[in-house]
Amino acid sequence: MAEMIVEPIENYGLSKESRPKILFSKIGIVGCGSVGQDLAITAAKHGIEVVFLERNEELIQRSFKEIKRELDHEINHWGLTPGEKTAILSMIRGTLVYTDFHDCELVIETIKMKHGQSGHEMRREVFLNIEKAVRKECIIATNSSTIAVTELSSELKHKERCVSLHISTTAPGASVVELAKGLHTSDEAYEKVIKFVKLIEKIAIPVTESPGLVSVRLFVVLLNEACATLMEGVSSMENIDLTMRCSFNMPLGPFEFADKVGLDKIVRWMKNLYSEFGTSRYIASPMIKKLVRANRLGRITGIGFYKYDDEGNKILEETL
Amino acid sequence: MNILVLNCGSSSIKYQLINIETHRLFAKGIVEKVGMKGSFLRHEKENGEKVKLEGEVIDHLTGIEYVLGVLISKKHGCLGSLSEINAVGHRMVHGGERFQGSSLITEETIKDFKACIPLAPLHNPANLKGVQAMQYMLPEIPQVAVFDTAFHQTMPAYAYMYALPYSLYKKYGIRRYGFHGTSHYYVARRACEILGVSMESMRIITCHLGNGTSMAAIKNGKSIDTSMGLTPVEGLIMGTRTGDMDLGVLTYVMEKEELNISVTSTLVNKHSGMLGITGISSDMREIEKEAEAGNERAILGLDMFRYRIKKYIGAYTAALGGLDLLIFTGGIGENDPVTRELCCAEMEYMGLEFDPEKNAGVRGKEMLLSKPSSRVKVMTIPTNEELVIAEHTYRIVSGLTVNPA
Repeated sequence: MAEMIVEPIENYGLSKESRPKILFSKIGIVGCGSVGQDLAITAAKHGIEVVFLERNEELIQRSFKEIKRELDHEINHWGLTPGEKTAILSMIRGTLVYTDFHDCELVIETIKMKHGQSGHEMRREVFLNIEKAVRKECIIATNSSTIAVTELSSELKHKERCVSLHISTTAPGASVVELAKGLHTSDEAYEKVIKFVKLIEKIAIPVTESPGLVSVRLFVVLLNEACATLMEGVSSMENIDLTMRCSFNMPLGPFEFADKVGLDKIVRWMKNLYSEFGTSRYIASPMIKKLVRANRLGRITGIGFYKYDDEGNKILEETL
Repeated sequence: MNILVLNCGSSSIKYQLINIETHRLFAKGIVEKVGMKGSFLRHEKENGEKVKLEGEVIDHLTGIEYVLGVLISKKHGCLGSLSEINAVGHRMVHGGERFQGSSLITEETIKDFKACIPLAPLHNPANLKGVQAMQYMLPEIPQVAVFDTAFHQTMPAYAYMYALPYSLYKKYGIRRYGFHGTSHYYVARRACEILGVSMESMRIITCHLGNGTSMAAIKNGKSIDTSMGLTPVEGLIMGTRTGDMDLGVLTYVMEKEELNISVTSTLVNKHSGMLGITGISSDMREIEKEAEAGNERAILGLDMFRYRIKKYIGAYTAALGGLDLLIFTGGIGENDPVTRELCCAEMEYMGLEFDPEKNAGVRGKEMLLSKPSSRVKVMTIPTNEELVIAEHTYRIVSGLTVNPA
């Protein structure tokens, strides 16, 4: 068979005016823990190239392992085909250097704090590093819901391109994204991010910049109340979860949700909320604090309110 | 008259440029991965030479602009200018009950077609993008919509209704529509042409066996039944789709495996069919290779595939009140002699005498496959949906064009 001629397509356009670029053909993610992985998979599924940054090669490999596990899980539950998995994985790449973000149109930080670390400092540094690497039109976003993007962007040259984009990962396939403008965020940047959210087929919820936005703020209070109900002996942990699951059609009860999110993260959220609002309802229940002190952080450590096996499945009976 | 035939999918644009008087195919090609990374245009010239053009194709409009650009380019083109394109024919997937036949595209057509979007939420919007892009690029040129569902609109209500509460039909238009209409129509007409008989006097069964598979029963030149329904999942076993199945199975599996709606749809559309049974592939050639090597599930899958077709032949023969002509088309129907032979085995009782010798080795050709003594004629006819689209476009536009080319 004759060899096929390959040429660039640009020579065959009819109008000479410059062509718009495909919006969000590539995004960057800083920190590829569960939130980052979820976002990477979602974006790749929608044909967007993803490059994620981790601190070392080992963490990159771990992220890939977890992404593959999630995709295999979907295949085993008929939600995905092996061919689609290959296509998704081919869109995702790991890196150790910020310079690989140079051609991204959006970079989101989804870094995970270790217990006791200050989120503000680290995230601010991440924002500065991102700005050094990207073009000036590139949107820089934080996934944090309790730290204001205004604060994170305060030292940047182009503050107007920063937004807060909070993807809830507590429910698999959650379809909403909370979008908050900072003090400096331009309408243009905000509109662009709304387009991105639509592109990945989620619903953008516009929110005013306020710690905890909607989801986190309401959830932590629910969890605190669940702890109080348990401590007062009103009902057992399993039955509180069961009641909430069935009464309000939630996929997980408050304790199960908390274990999934990570109790250390919840304590940090609540600290941030308390320092902003100063009301006692944001003070984490002693029960949560006790578990965190014992390093019972939830699924991640295999034990939190409940106990979990290596696959992250709840082991019944042996609980708190 | 030169007609550009377009088939726009959600991320692809297929095109052919056909001269209707001479049936000459000037060029054909496809733009793939529209709006995605790694998009390209593959163009094939009349002399068989192929060109691949790589670069960003942001949307259907850009894609169509490049298609037109290539067609009039000095290097790879076949037209002096765009004015040599006299009309555009679009393959449209779902015309619902509104479209009984092909239709000139007007504002009203577009409005009606939009109303059919809920019936084909993936395909119809992509078709529409192609229409709108073309209107923008060549606003003066008439465009025609040819629907995949239109040929089957002649089905009687007792064949197209589901035994669901009637209110659901009223509310959402839930009924059987069928697909591949253009292909069923083309091969039936073409076979009658070759045999020198009138399509109106024949009882015909057409088997479109490709990655999607469907059959149609045609009487007096009209489709009276077809195997696909509201969606393409119903009917024959396909590459990755179940075809007919007890609905109770679905609710049972949904409960056992805790499946939501979107996953259930993936299960019956992408994980099932030949791929699901054999665990090998959705590609018939690979399955046949495995079957020859003795793979039991491959053998089972092929038996199931062929048995389902045979069962439908029996059912449609009964529905037609007898059979005169059986036609195979589509990738498998045109290129798989074994499937054709096994589907036609032991049908002498109904006057069908298959000729295995004539059948052996026939691939991608028009051919009579039954013995001369056979009362029922069996044929294989390569399908040509684009030609039908071009013809319909020509017929509809002719009344309008002042100076047809």
